Amino acid sequence: MRVGEDITVLASFGMPYRIKPLSFTWSGRTIEIKEVTYTWKTKEGQRDVHHFSVTDGNTLYELTFDAASLLWQIESLEA
Amino acid sequence: MSSIIMCIDMDAFFASVEQQANPKLRGKPIAVIGSGSRTVITTRSYEARTYGVKTGMNIYEAKKLCPNLILVVGDNEKYAHTCNELSVIYNKYTPDIEIYSIDEAFLDITTTQHLFGGPEAIGFAIKKEVKDQFGINCTVGIAPNILMAKLASDIAKPDGLRWIKPEDTEPLLKDLPVKDLWGIGSATAEKLELLGIRTCAELGKAPASILRNKFGIVGETLKRMGQGFCDRPLIVKEEDPKSIGHSMTLPKDISDREALKAELLKLSSMVCSRARKHGFVGKKITLTVRYSDFETFTKQATLQVHSNCTHEIYHNASDILDSIRLIDKVRLIGVSLSDLMLENEVQLDLFNGDAKRKSMLKAVDSLNDKFGDSTVTWASYLKATESPSVISPAWKPSGVRNTNIKN
Repeated sequence: MRVGEDITVLASFGMPYRIKPLSFTWSGRTIEIKEVTYTWKTKEGQRDVHHFSVTDGNTLYELTFDAASLLWQIESLEA
Repeated sequence: MSSIIMCIDMDAFFASVEQQANPKLRGKPIAVIGSGSRTVITTRSYEARTYGVKTGMNIYEAKKLCPNLILVVGDNEKYAHTCNELSVIYNKYTPDIEIYSIDEAFLDITTTQHLFGGPEAIGFAIKKEVKDQFGINCTVGIAPNILMAKLASDIAKPDGLRWIKPEDTEPLLKDLPVKDLWGIGSATAEKLELLGIRTCAELGKAPASILRNKFGIVGETLKRMGQGFCDRPLIVKEEDPKSIGHSMTLPKDISDREALKAELLKLSSMVCSRARKHGFVGKKITLTVRYSDFETFTKQATLQVHSNCTHEIYHNASDILDSIRLIDKVRLIGVSLSDLMLENEVQLDLFNGDAKRKSMLKAVDSLNDKFGDSTVTWASYLKATESPSVISPAWKPSGVRNTNIKN
């Protein structure tokens, strides 16, 4: 399901994951991330957008981090 | 000193990436497909292979073999990113790398292997890094040339490592069917069988004159392949392209010329934008048309001067289309630009009549580079259908084959 909403994310920046989202708050609910299952990067023109496939153990979410605007979004979810 | 070549082949690449990205797909039979309505299986997981599901099958055939098959629409951006990052890993061990396809690479580690503890140590280190970083498996083949390295990886699949040393070549090839060699397809294998040649050893011992008579100049190459030799060097630096082209299978067969022209404009725009990005201009335009019954033909036109201007390529491709009497609905349409040369080597136009148009295209390219593809584009382009989302096997992380990937 496509979502496309801004979210607040608690993340660590550094090695070995470079950027690792740990939890995010969406619609007033905080979701703990159990596993970052895949990461990839795309370009929107000259902007780098980092994608994270993450799961809380039940639902799979795709989160994005726009390195230019520093905004996190929840792109989609799959229960 | 004998060369040491490593072949690294991702195991069921697209399917493995999807299984890693979605834990619910792990251990299950899955097939990666394109997003178009007429898609086929592009990759299948090892679980799906046990049911006989094959690449290129249509969904109906695949589901018949494996009713539980889970279909996943491929995510080209994920695969392209992974391929880019894999080349970063390979670069730690040698600068001599040929990215052969999105999921295969050859590394020449002849002069660097001693720095890392030898070929097997490099192979295991790469396998570990790939697993740690992406959670997927790859197979490593090591041998004195790319032919044998590819064979080694084919033998060791999945998740294996095999080193074929020069002294191992002869016993290995003795009973190996010729069709197991990279580059010998079923048509060549059938022709060889008519000559009584079934194994690599038989191919290696066959008189060169007979092979030459049957296959022409390739005959000698085939004989050497049967002996485990391969003279093809690694293509570390991408050669200048002979042509730049794009084609697309339409969502449904059409015969309406205006609709076909909308597709032509889109394809011409993609071709020209890529040509301009890499500084090439071309003189020959080829239109490819495939009818519903898969009959395919091409027709060419030659420009007076080399060009990479979208409107010029589009109008010429459009004229070619107008000159064709379509005998059936069209399934696929393609445009390519060939007879290429570097733009800065073209003789300057004395009257500079196209200067305004070129400046406009330059401005459009620079806006699209900055803000993303199709930020500024032709209005008629909007009539065209969405591009198919199957990544080309020829996609490369850099150079002219680095086409824009969008899902």
